[in-house]
Amino acid sequence: MIVMKEGNKRIPKWGRKVFAVAGGLTDYRKRFPEYKLEELVMTAFRQMLEKNDLKIDPLEVKGLVNYAVYAEFADHFQDQLLCEAKVHDYLGLDPLYNIGVKTGGATGGSAVLTGAMAVASGYADVVLVAGWERMDEVDTRTGNTYISFAACKDYETRLARMYSAYYAPMAKRFMETYKLSEETRAKVAVKNHLYACSSPYSQQPGKYTVEDILNSRMSAWPLRFLECCAMSVGAACILLCDEKTAYKLTDRPCELFIAGGSHTLRVADRRHQEIPLLPHETPETYKELIKPGSRYPGFESFLASRMAAWFCYRMAGIENPLEDLDLVELHDAFTISDIQTYGDIGLRPYGQEPDYIESGDAYYINPNTEKPGKCPSNLSGGLIGTMHAVGATGIFQGVECLWQVQQKYDRFHGDPKIWEFWGKKKPEDWESLQIPDRNGCQAAWVSHAGVGSHVTMGILRKAW
Amino acid sequence: MGNRKDEAQFIGQPAKVIQTEPAMVVEWPRTFLHRHTYGKLTPFFKGLQEGRLLATRCTNSKCSENRLWLPARADCPDCHQPMDWEEISHPVIGTIYTYTKVAYGGMGLEISEPYWQIDVELPGVCTIFKGWLRYGEPKIGMKVKAEFQKVPTNTILNIYWVPYEE
Repeated sequence: MIVMKEGNKRIPKWGRKVFAVAGGLTDYRKRFPEYKLEELVMTAFRQMLEKNDLKIDPLEVKGLVNYAVYAEFADHFQDQLLCEAKVHDYLGLDPLYNIGVKTGGATGGSAVLTGAMAVASGYADVVLVAGWERMDEVDTRTGNTYISFAACKDYETRLARMYSAYYAPMAKRFMETYKLSEETRAKVAVKNHLYACSSPYSQQPGKYTVEDILNSRMSAWPLRFLECCAMSVGAACILLCDEKTAYKLTDRPCELFIAGGSHTLRVADRRHQEIPLLPHETPETYKELIKPGSRYPGFESFLASRMAAWFCYRMAGIENPLEDLDLVELHDAFTISDIQTYGDIGLRPYGQEPDYIESGDAYYINPNTEKPGKCPSNLSGGLIGTMHAVGATGIFQGVECLWQVQQKYDRFHGDPKIWEFWGKKKPEDWESLQIPDRNGCQAAWVSHAGVGSHVTMGILRKAW
Repeated sequence: MGNRKDEAQFIGQPAKVIQTEPAMVVEWPRTFLHRHTYGKLTPFFKGLQEGRLLATRCTNSKCSENRLWLPARADCPDCHQPMDWEEISHPVIGTIYTYTKVAYGGMGLEISEPYWQIDVELPGVCTIFKGWLRYGEPKIGMKVKAEFQKVPTNTILNIYWVPYEE
């Protein structure tokens, strides 16, 4: 569809309010033979029920669940069809109904959206949303070929069998069109690997320099290995509920808004179109941007991310994301896709995305001013630093947002017992990345698939 | 009471144990054959075997777009009507829109690494066609010419591009 008609532009609206109250994660590792998949989900499920200050007994919380939504990217990886049934039984939730959701890299976000719809519609009062991925049954090159089956198998898969090679042409195009330097791209990797150092769940923490990133092994030019997300094994859970149950379960519920957009599987098929404007943009914003021969979204931007933000900001009453949001967790599968997203979700106008990094706004502490960054991004360590167990990812991001807004970052990242549980030692120089509290504190996360085929944006807002 | 001479036998191979600590891990090798149809895209892939590049065009007079598509698709997404096949005339000359050098491809990759993967704009085509550059060094805006494998691969890899100078 090129021209959206009025009916297509209807803003999503819940039938009743939806809240998130608790979350649970696991460690994320390249290989994880210690646990079977369902055992990992159980571990995240227990953290969610037992460690989130819920005001009633964990088994009584379970006694309120009506429905479960499960997120898994690819049956190829699990080598087990109907994993959902196996997990659901393992968690002891039969005979309640459960449903599996699959939208590539955006699977976790789509599962949260599906769970929220069940609460909003009245189908359920309490919904478990859980996701996982086991990517260690095959070696890395085979794993990359499995993932490349999410490209078009007729026209694209055989041309690389590797997702970085579908993002790298976007990086080249973006660098040329919007004057993005290799150094700015590398700074995203430096930042996210660094923030992963504060997380007991992270797979790829590291204190790297820009030079380290640019000297690392090439995957598909210009993208280096240290600019790419990890293949992970792990799970994540989040508990959604209606307003009444939310306040019964916790003193710190967060109101949830979430919406999505989609666009072609093949980047190739994206025809030029007008830029849909976010609430803080006007036609003047882009008067100079589109020149003869250039295209929107072209290879520079993601229409699906723009539409997810377009719907979600209006649904949640966000007027200016940089001013209104206290944190964003973005789908940094690659440094370039992270940067592309800054424009899509309006942290900067299209064409000025690199400035979100260079200004220091994206940092916990702005390196230019030594003061808190205006709207920090990926304090979780993101996909580059912490994890991309694909089905779990969009839930992991939501949980990190939830704990940040609930002022529980330190509890879930700084407790030495959590580090020890996962066989790690809390670093001597561990630093808190807790965002400041304020009335109406809110965090957004973007869950993203393919080369932008499915994207959801979720917002969690302090509601106490 | 059963008769043991008719008993069922284990006829597989023992699974290879590759580690026992901290948990037991076994290998489970297998090979599967898939039969993949090109469906209504068959003229496109037959064209590649014959050294011809075919696109599809919507010719429905009621369609607001009437675009030319490559990658070809059989049905128009704007008006939902079947489209017509249209050959891109020889020599097929395109312009590089963007590119990458693939240094680390996935398992089973059929092109020798490293190689240039290029995205090509073609006159009149509403989409951008992904392919590979056989030799030379790409630049955005550079002209390239389509060539075809002499021994057909029967896949998208049958078409490749080479630098073109007028």
